[in-house]
Amino acid sequence: MFLVLIRRELLANLMTFRFVVAMVVTLSLVVANTVVLIADYERRLASYNTAVQQHAQKVSEAETYSEVEGKIRVDRPPNPLSIFNAGLDRRLGNSIHVRHTLVPTLWDTQSHSADNPFLNLFSSVDLVLIFQVILSLLALLFAHDAIAGEREAGTLQLTMTNPVSRPMILLAKYISAMACLILPVIMSLLLALILFSLSESILLSADDRLRIGGVLLISIIYLSVFYLIGLLISTLTRRTATALMVAMVIWSTLVLIYPSLIVFAVNRIWQTPTQLEAAYGEIEQTWERFERERMDFLERDPVEDDNTGYDILKGSGSRGGFEPSDSTTLKYFKAESRNLTQVNDDSESLVPHAKAYYQFAESLRIRAAERTGQVRQKALEQVYVRKANLAKNLMRLSPALMYDFATEAWAGTDFHSIEDFIISVQQYRQTVINYFHDKAAFSSRQWFASDQGEVDWSDLPQFSYHRADVATDVKHASGDIACLLLINVVLFMITVLIFVRQEV
Amino acid sequence: MIWHIIKRELYDHLNSLRFAFTTVLLIILMLINAVGYLDAHKTRSQAYQQKVSASLDKMRSNTDNLYNLVIEGPGNLYKKPSSLSFCASGGEAFIPESAQGGRATWSISSGGSSLRGIWRMSYPQSNPNLWDIMPDSTDVDWGNIISIVLSLVAILFTFDAISSEKEHGTLRLTLSNSISRGALLVSKFFAALITISIPFLIAALLNLFLLYTSGSISLEGSEWGRLGIIVFIAFLYLSIFLALGLLISSRVNHSSTSLTILLLIWTVWIVLIPSTLGSLTSGLQPTRTREEFDAQRMDPWEKLRSENGAGLNIPMLSQEIPATKGTVSWAEYLTEEATVHEELNEEHVNAQIAQVQLARSIIRVSPASSVRYGIESLAGTGFTRHVQFLEQVRRYADEFRVFLIETDRADPESPHAIGPKEGTSQKPVSFASIPKFEDHISFSGAYTAAATDILLLLLFFVVLFAGAFLSFLRVDV
Repeated sequence: MFLVLIRRELLANLMTFRFVVAMVVTLSLVVANTVVLIADYERRLASYNTAVQQHAQKVSEAETYSEVEGKIRVDRPPNPLSIFNAGLDRRLGNSIHVRHTLVPTLWDTQSHSADNPFLNLFSSVDLVLIFQVILSLLALLFAHDAIAGEREAGTLQLTMTNPVSRPMILLAKYISAMACLILPVIMSLLLALILFSLSESILLSADDRLRIGGVLLISIIYLSVFYLIGLLISTLTRRTATALMVAMVIWSTLVLIYPSLIVFAVNRIWQTPTQLEAAYGEIEQTWERFERERMDFLERDPVEDDNTGYDILKGSGSRGGFEPSDSTTLKYFKAESRNLTQVNDDSESLVPHAKAYYQFAESLRIRAAERTGQVRQKALEQVYVRKANLAKNLMRLSPALMYDFATEAWAGTDFHSIEDFIISVQQYRQTVINYFHDKAAFSSRQWFASDQGEVDWSDLPQFSYHRADVATDVKHASGDIACLLLINVVLFMITVLIFVRQEV
Repeated sequence: MIWHIIKRELYDHLNSLRFAFTTVLLIILMLINAVGYLDAHKTRSQAYQQKVSASLDKMRSNTDNLYNLVIEGPGNLYKKPSSLSFCASGGEAFIPESAQGGRATWSISSGGSSLRGIWRMSYPQSNPNLWDIMPDSTDVDWGNIISIVLSLVAILFTFDAISSEKEHGTLRLTLSNSISRGALLVSKFFAALITISIPFLIAALLNLFLLYTSGSISLEGSEWGRLGIIVFIAFLYLSIFLALGLLISSRVNHSSTSLTILLLIWTVWIVLIPSTLGSLTSGLQPTRTREEFDAQRMDPWEKLRSENGAGLNIPMLSQEIPATKGTVSWAEYLTEEATVHEELNEEHVNAQIAQVQLARSIIRVSPASSVRYGIESLAGTGFTRHVQFLEQVRRYADEFRVFLIETDRADPESPHAIGPKEGTSQKPVSFASIPKFEDHISFSGAYTAAATDILLLLLFFVVLFAGAFLSFLRVDV
């Protein structure tokens, strides 16, 4: 009997107009957007590749060690799975300067030069967004008349006369409708995969395929949540028109209105804390102390007509000082670069002094950078990360957002992966400093002068960044997935309980 | 007879569940908007004043010497916040709020004397959102309330306007009266329009009342006028979706089919199309990269070197009057370097602007975008406003440059070769005589910009209403 019911429901659903519409709309939207998104990804990849080349080129142009200040720049490759869920992958900066005078944080990211920052004015689209909006709508459209419709038509009574329990009727309806709803999802994802394979620039690893499978799985769970919401409404209402209206109200609230309200409210209520000012003060103090210690050194070991340490050696060449001060991102540091192409003869005797001075000053700089780095990291945590986490947690009340966050984690475009990138840049900075130490760069003549040969950068360690493996990402997503599953079970149980005790 | 039908429909609507839903939703959203922007304008204006005065203070500290002004420039120039920003936030998070007229980052030194680049205007490239990790969302401003909620509500009120009467057979009854089909359609249209406008106007007035009485905004005559046009745009937009609802409703026989179709049209047209087209057009006109731009900037430097041979170095600078050839060529170089830098920067920004303008014109196939852009231009926020701001900055930069040259010319002790320290006047400058930048929000352009959007919306409405009309005339009852 159960199978008969499923077959009846399945046929009834497949024959409907809305199934055709669901199929056509989902397929056309996914295909059109995949084409657009693949082109967009290719553009970002090309921009990344040129950026990497240009940045490598820049480093090799530095003639002295100190001249490399502000020239080592590393880039974050675009994630091909951002086509599924763009997350933060496209929006956040994707390039960071690596310098020994500053520990890089999220605040120091920049975007590739080819990108037009104004284009962020247009909200971005990805496949998950399409599923998030369209699938939930379709699920509700399929579910709203499941019980209410039969009740109106009087067929519910007829079905009940057969030897079949009420939960079984619900289960049969659920299974058959889900089968109909999953069909367009799977087909559109397959089409998207075909388009992926046509593009030469997208190379999917086995890991990536697993991630795509995960996205599909989460999509199905999400679909089921909305179908069950619709089923619950349908059981509770007498008329299909009312059921549809209630379903639309719930849908527009959960999918469209609630998330915006939360972000809006959190943005307005969360005042930029005073911690930032305090932290900036602390950073300034650290650099003042640096300046004092530097001066102390110069006093202990004075040079004629130079008590600032800026022009210990006379000669020709270029000198750059860099001292950005931005109190909103706590970016404050002091960096210097120097390239003497010729040292005057009378300054030659001061070279050992200059070497000692730079070795002292640069290691002092590194210490100051590390101290300020901790302060900044803490402030960033307090000001931005906590606020975003609060908003995210509040948004989790809507299954649509839970779906978004879970797929974001699976695709590796969430905040965790950005954090991973930043951490690997911080590690790379340490590698570069170690490289300088190995080469005794700080105490070498090549730190400030290129008159006896330019620096050979060929053995500078390269930066490499690997995305976290699937297991880690799955762990980040597991909370949301578990919640979605729990919602499914609870909704189904409530529906069964209500339906069992209801008059037909 | 028309009045009878309008009255009947009105009573029907006012008693329905959807009317209660609409009222509650609109009032909640408008209240949240009001609370959110309660002191937004005040804090924003204060921050603006503070930043402007800080920037002026910095300028004042440079007035003891004209050369300092030549190096440091006018400082940061800020965009004035608009008092109607609660109507349309206009993507503030993505648009820079200032332009920087500041010093160059390079300097060269040789044999004890040094030379540094003179001031240049630069437009910030990075957007403040680069490190914003908040989840994506749309702002709760009038623009979004109107474009998303009002259109959805319009659909909910009209999807069954004709199809359910067909289902119940009441349509035949109504038409047996002496009323034309056109009049029936028009009266259904107006009944829905009036029904929705009641909660909308109540919510909007509540919102304005809260903002106004709390003193967070002070509205003048022209602002009331602009608010009026914004409300007009809202009604026009509402009408588009009422007409669409009537069109679909008259084409289908079942209300549930009608709602299914309408909802799908709505999601695709309002929610998805703007995003898809936005990312699509970004690929149509790629802009030049920063590196290409840097490479071009090196040209004047190379040119100067080749023209003057290797003999040119900094000790050739002198304070002699009239200026020596060395001083003049350095002055020329410095000026040219700054000009080229500025021009390339401007070109880069212009290319980016062109890209956005193209995307904006294509994206207007969705009336939701037209509505947002129309409201943005009337509220004085958003992208059009930013372009206007850049225009003003450009004009001011020229003014400032002329001021520097004229002040230098007035000093008899200067060699009149602006750029190197030796060639520039060292006299103090009176702070009052320096032209100051003040950002004006001008609405003459805004009205024209909004007119385009209004006409576009009108076109959509006429087409859809004519469609509904024709299709209803041919309906089998």
